Amino acid sequence: MQFKDYYKVLGVPRDATAEGVKKAFRRLARKYHPDVSKEKDADTRMKEVNEAYAVLSDPEKRATYDQLGKGFRPGEEFHPPPDWNTGFKFSGHGFSPGEAAGFSDFFEQIFGRMGHGNRGFHAQRNFRDQGENHHAKVYLDVEDAFTGATRQISLHTPKMDARGRVAQESRTLNVKIPRGIREGQVIRLAGQGAPGMDGGHAGDLLLEVHFKPHPRLRVEGRDLRLTLPVAPWEAALGAIVAVDLPGGPVRVRIPKGAQSGKQLRVRGKGIPGEPPGDLMLVIEVVLPPANTPKAQEFYERMARELAFDPRQGR
Amino acid sequence: MRDDEVLIGSLMEDTWLTLDQVAAACDVEPAWLIRHLEEGLFPRAESVSGVWRFSGAALARARRMRSLERDFDAVPELAALVADLLEQMDEMRTRLRSHGGL
Repeated sequence: MQFKDYYKVLGVPRDATAEGVKKAFRRLARKYHPDVSKEKDADTRMKEVNEAYAVLSDPEKRATYDQLGKGFRPGEEFHPPPDWNTGFKFSGHGFSPGEAAGFSDFFEQIFGRMGHGNRGFHAQRNFRDQGENHHAKVYLDVEDAFTGATRQISLHTPKMDARGRVAQESRTLNVKIPRGIREGQVIRLAGQGAPGMDGGHAGDLLLEVHFKPHPRLRVEGRDLRLTLPVAPWEAALGAIVAVDLPGGPVRVRIPKGAQSGKQLRVRGKGIPGEPPGDLMLVIEVVLPPANTPKAQEFYERMARELAFDPRQGR
Repeated sequence: MRDDEVLIGSLMEDTWLTLDQVAAACDVEPAWLIRHLEEGLFPRAESVSGVWRFSGAALARARRMRSLERDFDAVPELAALVADLLEQMDEMRTRLRSHGGL
């Protein structure tokens, strides 16, 4: 196991004040914030930063780390002294046992696994021994919501190896996607998070569902929105047209006199469910090109006989 | 786990997320959640006959607010404001994506 230089992780000198440590942590927490960071390895870096801060922000832990770390250089092979007492009751300092469970083996060797009996979490749920819940986003096709599907989902989780280095671990899971799933819903896979400690339950894997962009369909909650191209005569005279949807074609009546931009709501033809969503069709009148003598003649005749000014009254 | 094994998850439905489920899923203490609920910082949670219920979006909100409070010593109201902004950003990103913009 390699010695980890927590001061280097936070970018502070060894004699940094508590205030200096806090400031450095906040700067990095902002830089690697998962919602805004553009850094590729933001998750991994944030884990390291959290771990370093958990140690350096706690006077008791920091003193222990400094004492133990004398004479070690970063990356050097580290073994705690044989009589090292891991029976300290260190507190988590704002990190839940679930989160602290993601800290490195190096951390655990020095401070033991946090949350052993001193954190006041609800003991009846065995919270302190439960593994960390993992959260991930999955991107599905709209079609999956219509038919249900089994999808392979690849997850990349930062993991510390035996030498204390952080590496991305890839896992592939086959997950059943229930029919009628909607944007933003969460699928819980019990026991697929981090392993539990001391016989505790493994954490859960919580997958937040999002849809990939679709060339024609837009998902809005349970509803689907689709631009429907229609011919001028279909719009003017009314028509019944077939609309292709992931669940199969549906026939839709275009009302007489429909104009471009008009919206039609087809009840119950959106994402399936109880209740199902609606299909919102936005009419787009498409003109046939005047690229043959015959088509040109049609347009000329319309111009002569209809006396139509689309700008009148606008 | 075998490669061909198919995992069947449970859908955390809008109507049945309880306070304990949200607390456990987000590694927060139930007391923290209750305090924030009573101060109105979870706009989409509702109390029906004294029992709180949550939408799936509450999971992300609880995790965000807790880490903002912890990492930046943010007062709960400020954490809630940032969470509001991040949720608006999520919504816009989703819209942009559905237009093929992301």
